[in-house]
Amino acid sequence: MHVADGVLSGPVWGAGFAAAAALAAVTLRKVDMEDIPKISVVTSVFFVASLIHFPVGPSSLHLILNGLVGVVLGIRAFPAILLGIVLQAILFGHGGVSVIGVNTVMMGVGALCAYWVWLQRKRFNFPKRDVAFGAIAGAVAIIVSGFILAMALYTTGEALWAMAGMVFIYHIPLMLIEGAVAGACVGFLLRVKPEVLSDTQPRLRSEPTHE
Amino acid sequence: MAIDIDRYAHIESTLKRWDVRFKIASLGVFILAVALLDTLPMAFAALGAAIVALRAAKLPREFVRNGVQFVMVFLVPFLLILPFSYPGESPHRFLGMEFAYEGLRLGLLIVVKALAIVLTSYAIFGTSRFDVSMIALQRLKCPTVFVQMLLFTYRYIFVFLAELRRMEVAMKARGFVAKGNMRTLKVFGDFIGTLLVRSFERTERIYKAMLSKGYQGEFHTLVEFHSQPRDYQKTALAIGTAVVLLALDNAGWFHRAELGWM
Repeated sequence: MHVADGVLSGPVWGAGFAAAAALAAVTLRKVDMEDIPKISVVTSVFFVASLIHFPVGPSSLHLILNGLVGVVLGIRAFPAILLGIVLQAILFGHGGVSVIGVNTVMMGVGALCAYWVWLQRKRFNFPKRDVAFGAIAGAVAIIVSGFILAMALYTTGEALWAMAGMVFIYHIPLMLIEGAVAGACVGFLLRVKPEVLSDTQPRLRSEPTHE
Repeated sequence: MAIDIDRYAHIESTLKRWDVRFKIASLGVFILAVALLDTLPMAFAALGAAIVALRAAKLPREFVRNGVQFVMVFLVPFLLILPFSYPGESPHRFLGMEFAYEGLRLGLLIVVKALAIVLTSYAIFGTSRFDVSMIALQRLKCPTVFVQMLLFTYRYIFVFLAELRRMEVAMKARGFVAKGNMRTLKVFGDFIGTLLVRSFERTERIYKAMLSKGYQGEFHTLVEFHSQPRDYQKTALAIGTAVVLLALDNAGWFHRAELGWM
């Protein structure tokens, strides 16, 4: 799910670069030296994980996982997504240099929305609450990204309106798949190492009891 | 899936000898100029220029073709859908549906521009080592923190790719087959969680090891850049081409492929 080169009009991809630069400047201000290896290593995990393909009927689609990036890295998800998009545009040889801005805003804002959803979980209290909010965060990230992508196509010109609608509809099944994976992953991390998730306290280890 | 764009960066060529800073800056300008084009003749001219640049890069055809094929998967839908979805009445019909030549022209414009940009990025990043390209970005005033993170992420992508392959083998050995069902999604979730936990434990060790070697927020590199008169000539040629393409595009001599907002 990304826009290829050559599709969007100048003002749209220009605005994408401007918005991505502004958001990156704001979110990078909170990064100190200790965060550099942490953000990078987590980014590379997500970069690799997004190469996993999920079979759907005769074809397959690859995971995007921007919601999970938000849940794990919090605000620092935005620079992480920018890193991923830049590396994708350079390393794969599939192009995308002129749309780095638009693609970063699309995925990055989705990740930030997921983080916001994740923060809201504390207002509620029911069993499996965190898993449910992880799943919702994963789904919200995808639908927000799909909406931004559709808006980028829509504002480029009337000729792309039909395309924009199709692209948005395509994101609905994607949203369900990503939500399920994000929920499962959050559940796993809560059991194994909750401090990987943002906005969590390290679990207190119970003292070994000798009876 | 190839993630080593610099696999053939050792091949001697005109583009490889170009100072990397100049190469990135001037071909970057060229790419942005191509993204602004609105007329088909100029888009084809840009594609021609990109092919000339790629010839000068001497990259193996097979290598470039793989990437281009993948891009076409994204672009062919535009060619197929736009002629039929183009707004407004059209007198032409094809297979019982309204067929607009304007839509076809627009689809073609999108495909040609995208191809020109993809080929140009091969010419930029296929002809020098990835780390050298990144250091060049830093010299071009890209924020140091960001370049540091790019280099780091790049380095660890290969580590985790190997980890991913190993875990895949372990899953296969236990009979796991990815199917389109809920169970597979849950397994993927646990799988990604495992990768994350391992990576987190690793980052702590990496950071301590770096501190103990005196890390203070910057990698030191042995890469140095030297510009020569030839570098300026190549830069002038690339930027000149970009300016001429944009000027002719805006001169109004060619019919624009309408996007509906002009």
